[in-house]
Amino acid sequence: MINMLWQAHLSFALLLFLLTPGLGFSPGWQRLRLAALLAVSFLPVDGLTLAAYVHSFTGDAAITSLVAMLYLAGVRTGFAPPLPRRASVQILAVMAALAVFLYPATLGLSYLDPYRLGYQPRPLILVVALLAFALLALKNHLGACMLGLATLAFTVGLKASPNYWDYLIDPFIGLYSCCAILVYVTGRLLRRKATAQTRAPSLQP
Amino acid sequence: MLAYKKKQFVTGVAAVSLLAIFFAAWWLHPDRSVAGFAVADPASDPLAMVGQAPFYRSRFASTDLDEFVHSSSVAALPSGALMAVWFAGTREGAADVQIRGARYDASTAEWGDELVLATRESTSSATRRHIRKLGNPVIALAPDDRLWLFYVSVSIGGWAGSAINAMYSDDFGENWSAPKQLITTPFLNISTLVRNAPVFHSDGTIGLPVYHEFLGKFAEYLYISAEGEVLDKSRISKGTHSLQPTVVPVSAQSAVVLLRYAGDTHHKVLASRTEDAGQTWSKPRPVDPSNPNSSLAAVGTPDNGLLVALNDLEDGRFRLRLMGTDAGLNFWQPVIDLDESPDPLGHPFSPEVYREIIGDKFQLSSGPRRLALMDEFLTHLDQRVCAVQGCDFEYEYPYFIKSADGLYHLVYSWNNAFIKHVSFNDSWLDTQL
Repeated sequence: MINMLWQAHLSFALLLFLLTPGLGFSPGWQRLRLAALLAVSFLPVDGLTLAAYVHSFTGDAAITSLVAMLYLAGVRTGFAPPLPRRASVQILAVMAALAVFLYPATLGLSYLDPYRLGYQPRPLILVVALLAFALLALKNHLGACMLGLATLAFTVGLKASPNYWDYLIDPFIGLYSCCAILVYVTGRLLRRKATAQTRAPSLQP
Repeated sequence: MLAYKKKQFVTGVAAVSLLAIFFAAWWLHPDRSVAGFAVADPASDPLAMVGQAPFYRSRFASTDLDEFVHSSSVAALPSGALMAVWFAGTREGAADVQIRGARYDASTAEWGDELVLATRESTSSATRRHIRKLGNPVIALAPDDRLWLFYVSVSIGGWAGSAINAMYSDDFGENWSAPKQLITTPFLNISTLVRNAPVFHSDGTIGLPVYHEFLGKFAEYLYISAEGEVLDKSRISKGTHSLQPTVVPVSAQSAVVLLRYAGDTHHKVLASRTEDAGQTWSKPRPVDPSNPNSSLAAVGTPDNGLLVALNDLEDGRFRLRLMGTDAGLNFWQPVIDLDESPDPLGHPFSPEVYREIIGDKFQLSSGPRRLALMDEFLTHLDQRVCAVQGCDFEYEYPYFIKSADGLYHLVYSWNNAFIKHVSFNDSWLDTQL
């Protein structure tokens, strides 16, 4: 049963680890904190482990989310270098685009159901392959790794779902990416406007 | 220079790995062809039924006198036996709701004792999820003699938070597998519900009509493998006004679907068609019978028409009617009112009057085995079906099948107090038309 829920325990521990402040602990202590959170995920609640109980409401995390959380945890624990801003924006843009394409239409807005593409996945595999190679060409190794490992997990059937989409995206990474991209674009526009305003007087004769 | 070469090597290895991963994914997931519907060969239809005496019988399938019972379903087993399932509990959506069932013995023409097939606890234990409530069981015998039971469970929120669980029996319901939750939506796997009879494809694929209730209300069709894995899905309707599709295959490629109308305008049954074994569906259109946002069920008739059980009303569920229609769904004809309130507008009755009427109705369907329950049933009546404004008659949620021996079987909620089973043959049907 642990096998079936390994993702739930890993997601629970990683998410809590990343959401709570590091408190200036050294990478060694951060590793201990992560191990402690993993232990917390096994606390019993209503006949289930805490992670399984939370998983009842959240469902499985996508493999892309797991890879991203593992990388960010790696940064905190000193195993990986921080991600350049440009790379994180590229990843957020890809995930936001997937979320905008998938979620609204699955809620019955049209006869087109993009989730169906995940059952007959060849066209979607092609598109995701192009995205992964594009990210690789941009030297965005984490982005390429997220999409590549999600596809590998789908190929070997690592999750309970037979649908490719469930490996690529979940509502949490989708919503986070959309919000983050919105904030980023708004910030850029505001900065551009402010720059234009400060330059404007110098253009006057 | 060395660092640059190392970076180039890493990128090269990453590119080759990606290529291998995506090629493997492509290779291992070929497009799946869809088999046609498994439609009964007219030549194998039981001609023995032709010329037989008209047959009509009604019985209660449930026994419990305390519980709210609802959303029944029935499957035909070999040798004329049947198995019915429904949900029972203190009220709809209560934590104590169980999925129950009973077997019908054709030799005695009686339903046996109630069985508990799934509970909140058993579902939670098998799926390793917190389960708040259960509902809507659907039972069906597949062509490979595997008996399937689908039912919904909710972990969070109301019915819009439902997911479908599937369990099966390879010995006609004696022993059951642990339930497994089907993953059918990308949004936390919530809001897929089942209510109506599955159909089968010629390769053994199960075609399960389902519906969605979160934000929108629309119908879908799931393709599930004979092993219980979701293979594909198609959308029957969109928007916010259609639910609970009942699918009737007409030929290998075509089928008709009727839908419960959940909108606020015309209050008519909706109909749609597929001509490619369920991959695409025509835009649903309203047809003649009224529908008060209530479940309906249909089966095919030998003349390629449909026989439909429904509440042909704009409001209320106080009359359950059987209607016949042609293949084009253009001409509708009432066959019989299976159960109805004596008041033509369905107004409530005082407890005294109600007790007398329902006592008579009870005897018509109790059969010898359940006749002994009558006094206790009438004593507890007030808590079960009567409210402050009076006592209502409610006949709803029909589920309809035609068994291999040519008999039609219909089960439905009888005042949410009993699950009623009605069976009849084509000869009886001819006498009603």
